[in-house]
Amino acid sequence: MAKILMKGNEAVGEAAVMAGCRYFFGYPITPQSELPHYMVKRLAEVGGVFLQAESEIGAVNMSFGAAGSGARVMTSSSSPGISLKQEGISYLAGAELPVVIVNIMRGGPGLGNIQPTQSDYFQATKGGGHGDYNLIVLAPASVQEIVDLTIDAFDLADKYRNPVMILGDGVLGQMMEPVEIREVQVNVPEKTWATTGAKGRKPNLINSLYIVAERCEEHNLRLQAKFKQMAKDNIRYEDYLADDAEILLVAYGTSARIAKGAIDRAREQGIKVGLVRPISLWPFPYEHLAEVAQKVKSVLVVEMSAGQMIEDVRLALNGSKPVDFYGRLGGMLPVTSEILREIEKLAKGGRSNG
Amino acid sequence: MTAMECKTHIFIGYYGSGKTELAINYATQLAGSSQPVALVDLDIVNLYFRSRETKDVLAAKGVEVIVSPGNLAQADLPALSPAILGVLQREGLKVVFDVGGDDAGATALGRFVRYIPEGSYNLFFVVNTYRPFTRTKAEIIKALRAIEAASRLKVTHLVSNSNLGGETDRECIVEGLSLVKEVAGELGLPVAFAGVPESLASQMEAELGDVPLMPLQLYMVPHWLREERWVITDPRSKLRDARGK
Repeated sequence: MAKILMKGNEAVGEAAVMAGCRYFFGYPITPQSELPHYMVKRLAEVGGVFLQAESEIGAVNMSFGAAGSGARVMTSSSSPGISLKQEGISYLAGAELPVVIVNIMRGGPGLGNIQPTQSDYFQATKGGGHGDYNLIVLAPASVQEIVDLTIDAFDLADKYRNPVMILGDGVLGQMMEPVEIREVQVNVPEKTWATTGAKGRKPNLINSLYIVAERCEEHNLRLQAKFKQMAKDNIRYEDYLADDAEILLVAYGTSARIAKGAIDRAREQGIKVGLVRPISLWPFPYEHLAEVAQKVKSVLVVEMSAGQMIEDVRLALNGSKPVDFYGRLGGMLPVTSEILREIEKLAKGGRSNG
Repeated sequence: MTAMECKTHIFIGYYGSGKTELAINYATQLAGSSQPVALVDLDIVNLYFRSRETKDVLAAKGVEVIVSPGNLAQADLPALSPAILGVLQREGLKVVFDVGGDDAGATALGRFVRYIPEGSYNLFFVVNTYRPFTRTKAEIIKALRAIEAASRLKVTHLVSNSNLGGETDRECIVEGLSLVKEVAGELGLPVAFAGVPESLASQMEAELGDVPLMPLQLYMVPHWLREERWVITDPRSKLRDARGK
């Protein structure tokens, strides 16, 4: 199969095209702007529609319209822009619309900076907007994985009629790696609920407004049952040298790659250390983590944030093991040697709270 | 006059063609022949992996990196350093330009056209045939024309820099060069050189025919990636997803 060299941001775009996405609505923001740039050129080639909206709010609501009419559609931004989209994302979840949303995270809070972070974990995995809802959140760690997960994201969004988020950071968006471009069998399920013109049938309604409390509760209960099924069926993770590990690292995305370098070096010193890399951040692999952690002495969570995923790790372990943290903030990347130092502290029976 | 004797050396091309690595290596090579060299980081369209990140390393090799001062170096602003005009007018100084990607990046170069008279510069159009939008002869020529229009300068040389990042091999370099030669033939332009990662340089010398080889030391690979031995298919890792339980 043919390989080409792609930037993470471009790879999201190409994967979307492979998955049959022909509509993209967005607004530029560093460090994800190559994605809209790519879509401008690429969607023109395949007869799709690229539209730079007047704002992020415009873009997410255009996606609402396109998804409502049955199209495969994507919107993307980086942290501050994703904050702006939250009202629309809640509406997508409420109206059960399949949209793929991409967040290439940058420094925050506020305007922050354009450097890579993982500090939107809470926002991505705990709903983000108002109301009781969840997105499926997929966190790639390489450009090839961006392609694979983006293709899956479109299928999952259609399968559950729910928005799906691809959560990456500035490094993943910007870095270039070889990827395989492959033929994808696009199977879009029939969307009998879509507003496609009501000739010869009863009109469909795309809506998240339920004025009568009883009806709104019924709607919510149905959504909750769906989220429960989504959570059950979509857990993804990777274990790296976790079988005999005495120290277990938990990290996702770019942090996980850096952690692997540190693990390799610690193993050379004879320290038994491994990694669980959650790939689905929602649903989070609680049970799997609890199982792997049974055999370990301590757990170290590595994030490019002040510590957000660590709360899910603590929930998974439910107090059974000490859980320490090493993180870098504000767009700084952890360095292999720093993580190695924390592993060495734990190996000597100390604590790491870097 | 040989290519290196010119005052100004400009590297231009699409995103990911390898302009930055080539510009850095070219500048250090010029500096190696004990001439004063300035490298202008003109990349104001993308804010990651820019030559400014190697400022200190290059200073040690005798290359002065010209970039927006202080905090502005990391700003998300299309700001150009006033020192660029200085180095273009300083006599006896060679200037290497690392221009931003695509025609968008080349636009910034247009602002300096009146300080770069015809015949005083090399405009190297860098091509990686493994990148989107420069994979065929027609695409490459279209990209070249768009960049010429934006920069208001004429391309003087093609540079073949086909690569797949860490997976670059002999075949990839040879195939890329063959396509670039075809384009060069059609446009009547010379192929100045072919970029080859240092690790492959010695074994490839004989394979490039009349095209000189530029061994590339890679400056932009981040620290953590240099240490990483992991690939996604590492047999030591166990992947579980919804399909392959």
